[in-house]
Amino acid sequence: MAHEKVNGCVILKDLHYNVDNNTWVRVLDDSTVAVGMTDVAQNLAGPLLHAKTKNVGTTRRLGKPIATVESGKYVGPVKSPVAGEITKVNPELAGDAGLINRSPYNGGWIVEMKADNLSEDLSAMVSGDDAVAAYKAKIERDNIQACEQIEGADTYD
Amino acid sequence: MAETMQALDLSQNKYSDVTMEEKDRLFAEVKSDDRWEHVLYGCYECGICVAACPSARFYDFSPRVIAQAVAREDTDLVYTLMADSIWDCSQCFSCDRCPRQNSPGQIITIMREVAVKNGLTSAKEALQGYGRIIYKIMLTGTQVSPDMLQPDAFPDWGTHVHEIAENLDDWRKALPPETLHTTETSWTIDDKTIIELYLIWHMTGVMDLISGVDEGLYDIIVDVMEERLEEAGYDDVTFD
Repeated sequence: MAHEKVNGCVILKDLHYNVDNNTWVRVLDDSTVAVGMTDVAQNLAGPLLHAKTKNVGTTRRLGKPIATVESGKYVGPVKSPVAGEITKVNPELAGDAGLINRSPYNGGWIVEMKADNLSEDLSAMVSGDDAVAAYKAKIERDNIQACEQIEGADTYD
Repeated sequence: MAETMQALDLSQNKYSDVTMEEKDRLFAEVKSDDRWEHVLYGCYECGICVAACPSARFYDFSPRVIAQAVAREDTDLVYTLMADSIWDCSQCFSCDRCPRQNSPGQIITIMREVAVKNGLTSAKEALQGYGRIIYKIMLTGTQVSPDMLQPDAFPDWGTHVHEIAENLDDWRKALPPETLHTTETSWTIDDKTIIELYLIWHMTGVMDLISGVDEGLYDIIVDVMEERLEEAGYDDVTFD
């Protein structure tokens, strides 16, 4: 799985990104996706203390919170990149929110969702080289500091 | 390289993109506040307020500039101060020693409230760092939580802050009152108190203020409140 690092932040090329909300989507089948925070997002939030996901069965409109994450001084929503229903939540996060910091794209996935209209939602996201370019622009525009490496960042996949 | 103090730009040009009508409207809102007639009487330019002001020592900030700008009704300058300077005040009210009984600190309180109510960019930026405190106080009624004491947030506490953060549960359990055996809130909060708190937020419309400065924060607070209120039988209470 190819990845690229922008200012130290890992971007996996096979994921779909909502760059504004700093979330990623991994397509699991025709309508099911896994959702998480990007490396950039977890670095901005800092070492996480709590990650509270919404319950399975909750339906969310685009941009509404699927989880709340808290670090020492920060709290913020993880905004849903798709409209649909939460079908699974990551059970590890309740006791170990730091998993999102250590492994934002794998062990630190946040929820799985059944999307109402996946193709429409995906068309508003970027992936591959476009995602890398979008993050380069964002990091420069927002003056985002270099990411501290997540576990295994050099061979991340 | 050491950071240098950024000089305050009080020129008329910085916010020339904002119309005079908008600046007039905001200043009128400041002056219509019930406290207004008790906070500004006139200015001798004696500088006692500046001499007493801790912020004036560290920032390009002057309570006298605030008092004089509003006294002169300099709408342009008042807007500039509302967009920049008022956020450098620590609201300690050391300036409440004015021989004319002005209170630059309270003038600033009113200006800040107007900035927040109107969703000014400066208010959003100033409150950004306080997101978790607003979240805590709105949802639990306690302003700070012991678990805010993290090495990345308080490096100035020294190296032992690591030990405190890692063993926070134990430290808290060492406190005699059982209500303090908490890490996510300052103390244990009764369900009844929480529900009353949420109903107060609902009745006073205070959530509208938050939606104006931080939509993401608004979403997560409302989400939790609506859920808890529904569980308590208040199905009809929504914040939309």
